[in-house]
Amino acid sequence: MKDKTIGRVLLYFLVISAILIASAIQAVRNINRSAESSDWVNHTHSVILEVEALHAALYVGDGALHTYALTGDTRDQAACSEAFSDATEHLEITRALTRNEPAEHAQVLELESLVNQRTAFYQAVLTARQVGDAEKVRALLATDAGRAALLDIRQKINRLKNDELALLTEHDTASYLQAQATRWTVWLGVVLDVLLLAGVAWLLRDDLAARRRAAVAMQVDNQQLEIRVRERTAELAAANARLSTENLERQWANKALEHQLHYHQLIVDSIEDLVFVLTKGLRISRVSPAVVHLTGLEPKALINQPLSRVVRLLAAHPAANAPMIDPIAQALKDGHELLDQAATVEDKHGRKTAVRFTLFPLRDGDKVVGGIVALRVSPAPGETTT
Amino acid sequence: MKKHILIVDDEADIRDLLAQFLAASGYRVTAVASAMEALRIGKQESPDLVISDLQLEDRDGLEMIAELKEAHPEQLVILLTGVLFDPDVVDSVLSAKVACYLEKTSSLAQILEAVNHLLGPPAAS
Repeated sequence: MKDKTIGRVLLYFLVISAILIASAIQAVRNINRSAESSDWVNHTHSVILEVEALHAALYVGDGALHTYALTGDTRDQAACSEAFSDATEHLEITRALTRNEPAEHAQVLELESLVNQRTAFYQAVLTARQVGDAEKVRALLATDAGRAALLDIRQKINRLKNDELALLTEHDTASYLQAQATRWTVWLGVVLDVLLLAGVAWLLRDDLAARRRAAVAMQVDNQQLEIRVRERTAELAAANARLSTENLERQWANKALEHQLHYHQLIVDSIEDLVFVLTKGLRISRVSPAVVHLTGLEPKALINQPLSRVVRLLAAHPAANAPMIDPIAQALKDGHELLDQAATVEDKHGRKTAVRFTLFPLRDGDKVVGGIVALRVSPAPGETTT
Repeated sequence: MKKHILIVDDEADIRDLLAQFLAASGYRVTAVASAMEALRIGKQESPDLVISDLQLEDRDGLEMIAELKEAHPEQLVILLTGVLFDPDVVDSVLSAKVACYLEKTSSLAQILEAVNHLLGPPAAS
């Protein structure tokens, strides 16, 4: 995988991780806020319930007070005391619940003042009734604001309730918005992560495709290289085979030549006559073994020597003072043979042997390039000199 | 399957060179030095072609060829020799005995041409 792609993929995963963490933090924070809001809602509902209970207890107590004032029944007194006791308890709870909420707490304190007034009235009536002071009871009841006081308390409780309900509505709205924000945050995170993951997949797919293309290109290159190597190898093999064949041809030609030379040498050596091969200048270029045998001279002592060194023609009737013309040179020059001429051969000790001399011009096409001299030892009587 | 050639020559260099060349040219080659060995292999294996020298150490080459042809009348033979025959009469003298006459001064290419002419091109390896 290319380094660039690895870097991009890592960057994508970093962003994905950051989005996931941010979404998780936001979600947890909103859940905490929801939990806090739920506590507050419960608390607010408790306040409302307490003030409602307070209101109910005051009404019950007030009714029981009037009944007790009329009947003097202890059960009514007990019911009255219990109702006012409940009212006091609800008030204390309400005060405690609102102690951290200054506005509500102030309203509760106002409410407490009114409730205390009603409690004081209750205590006064109760005391007067217990001592049997009917006039005082009558006077207290006559001067009591009664319904108006309760209505005032009712109004204050309603105001407090309405304030609490308004706060509840605000909290509901805030909670709804918060939940919406959480949903948006989570879904946005999910969508972004999906998009980023799709981007990563696209990068990987692109990289894999590039790698496949590179692999295919490399395979094609390798195949072309193999083809070139095979072609080159075939060329080298062909060149090697050609060189081997040429080498064999040269060796064969050399062997064939050696064979032919050896064969010709055998032919020459097998002739009993003395054979000299001459150059055009009448120098000896080759002799047969018979020459060596008769003269006692080795070939190296004869080769390149003039033929006259060992062979001399005998003139039949030499004219006195006539210019000496070498008949052998003349015959070669004219290109004709000299057949069965009298001649002598001198050995290395100076002894001469009479022979019959025959010369054949050695022709190469139309040119005379040398001569062959054949000597037969068959001296006629009187032709041998010593 | 490769065609089989029997080479008969008492000169080791000549024999080996020719065997190497014909083997490289795609033929199965057996090379022997004597007429006796040539007759033994020739009668047993019936090679597709015999290339023989004329002058063998143990026997005359033409005699050996004649005996070989008694066993295998259709035996193809090339006479390869350094003994030079008169070209004017060589065909009439030797054509009844051998399929082809070549001098040892012939090139290897000429020898291969004669072999291919008699046997056809060698089988691809």
